[in-house]
Amino acid sequence: MSTATPTAPVTIDTTRPGVPFARLLKVEFRKMFDTRASRWLAISTGILLVLVTAIVLLVVGLNDNARVSASDWYLGVMVSVLSLLLPVFAILSVTGEWGQRSHLTLFTLEPRRARVVTAKLVAVTSFALLLLVLAFALSAVGNVIGAAVGGYDAVWNYDLSEILWTVVAQLAYFWMAFGLGALVLSTPIAIVIFYVVGLLLPFMVYAPLVSIFEWARDIVPFIDINYAITEPMTGQDFVGNTVDVGALEYLRVLSPVVIWSVIPLVLGYLRIMRDEVK
Amino acid sequence: MITVENLSKTYGQFRAVDDISFTCRPGAVTGFLGPNGAGKSTTMRIIAGLTLPDRGTATVGGVDYRDIPNPGTQVGVLLDASAQHAGRTGREILTLSALTMGLPMSRVDEMLELVSLTPSESKRRVKNYSLGMRQRLGIANALIGDPKILVLDEPANGLDPAGIHWMRSLLRTYADRGGTVLLSSHLLHEIEIIADEIMVIGQGRIVASGTKAELLQGAGAFVQATDNTALTVALEQSGLAVTTSREGLLVEAEPVQIGKVAAAAGIALVELRPADSAGLEDMFLQLTATTQRDGAVTPGGPA
Repeated sequence: MSTATPTAPVTIDTTRPGVPFARLLKVEFRKMFDTRASRWLAISTGILLVLVTAIVLLVVGLNDNARVSASDWYLGVMVSVLSLLLPVFAILSVTGEWGQRSHLTLFTLEPRRARVVTAKLVAVTSFALLLLVLAFALSAVGNVIGAAVGGYDAVWNYDLSEILWTVVAQLAYFWMAFGLGALVLSTPIAIVIFYVVGLLLPFMVYAPLVSIFEWARDIVPFIDINYAITEPMTGQDFVGNTVDVGALEYLRVLSPVVIWSVIPLVLGYLRIMRDEVK
Repeated sequence: MITVENLSKTYGQFRAVDDISFTCRPGAVTGFLGPNGAGKSTTMRIIAGLTLPDRGTATVGGVDYRDIPNPGTQVGVLLDASAQHAGRTGREILTLSALTMGLPMSRVDEMLELVSLTPSESKRRVKNYSLGMRQRLGIANALIGDPKILVLDEPANGLDPAGIHWMRSLLRTYADRGGTVLLSSHLLHEIEIIADEIMVIGQGRIVASGTKAELLQGAGAFVQATDNTALTVALEQSGLAVTTSREGLLVEAEPVQIGKVAAAAGIALVELRPADSAGLEDMFLQLTATTQRDGAVTPGGPA
């Protein structure tokens, strides 16, 4: 403004650089943690983590025979707790804008909507990976403390396959959360669908089906990521028999990922590109 | 420079914007005046590239908004002051915009100072802001990138009279430096105070436009006499159109003509002046009467 004279024609500079992706990413990462909702989500998860760890240590301390290995700490304690509430971050990252209507500002500052959504997806993905690293570190600490409290030698039985398949499953869950959010653009609806599909169905429906019916063991891995990764990860089926893991078992992992992560993501992208922002 | 040409947008059967054309020139504050639902916000969303028009074009400085690189540094947009994440602090919202545009963080403090939000207010969450404070934050957010063009939807809504005058001087200075401003309001007195050029919009169409003086030209003069009835007769005999307005008469003539008629008829005048705000208000109500939802014209209504 300082150089403009009163009647100077106002022109738009189309040659100046646009908003670089790295800046969008930085902003989207920051936005995941700067609201009251996100703070309480983090605090709740922290409290849950402390509670669960305390219970495990209590059991280890009181029961002479109880042993908790590094792998148990990682999968059974840390990953389970951290992945329970934190996918909501992925949902809020996209639905929060529509719920609060801040997407009006969002898309006036960067009209190329696909870049904004991609920045959000990358931010959510990096967050999920950071969490897994944190879960791993905490499991090692838990293992040392558990051994000290229980008076046994720590069991370091980390398994690379287990760790990698956990990463695959967790990323699938975070993308599912994000994809559902982008598709329905409503926080409560996305949260309900996510927990029904990701938590309720596996425990309340798939588990009894698989334990009772032979056919369910063939079908459920096609629709649930945790069942899909079980055989490639452990080399055993759901009832504990050793199985030959072949191409089918690996390819089968793609099925729930496509159904619950890829399809909602693609449809969600299309919806955000096309929808009127108002 | 904002140019809108033959813009139309229909939602189902509802014509929100109906073949609108106008330009906003640099150095002036252009006011968009119309009742709620007249199509002001839809037009502004189309200008900002958030809504696609069915027909017509809207360009900013000759460019489609969506083709402007880093648009926040070239066009400042405030479409809804309440459309901010209620769980963030005011300072955080400005910080996010500054980060996106690649501005130094000092801009955040400069803007907070410009819109008179105190440091303690800026650290409160937007949920606890009054509408007036949200408007100030929204103005700060629109200005933070130092743009040359401003698009503001109902920016004075929720401001107290002092706030409206503050906004007038802010936008006046901005336009005097060569900036282009398009703002909207459903309240006549806000537009009257703030805008240089006024476009009156009703049912998606521009029903009148021009400078305040131009719009008032057709509004005639306001006159009050000791005997209004006698004056009415005298004026009508001279072939002038007269309507009753509050305590006096609205006459479609220049004040000097009326004075002459009154003097010739020997009628004492109490008041005689160009019909300014009262006239514009009558005009606004008249122009939008056919297009307003309730249809009722309230004399001396919302001002």
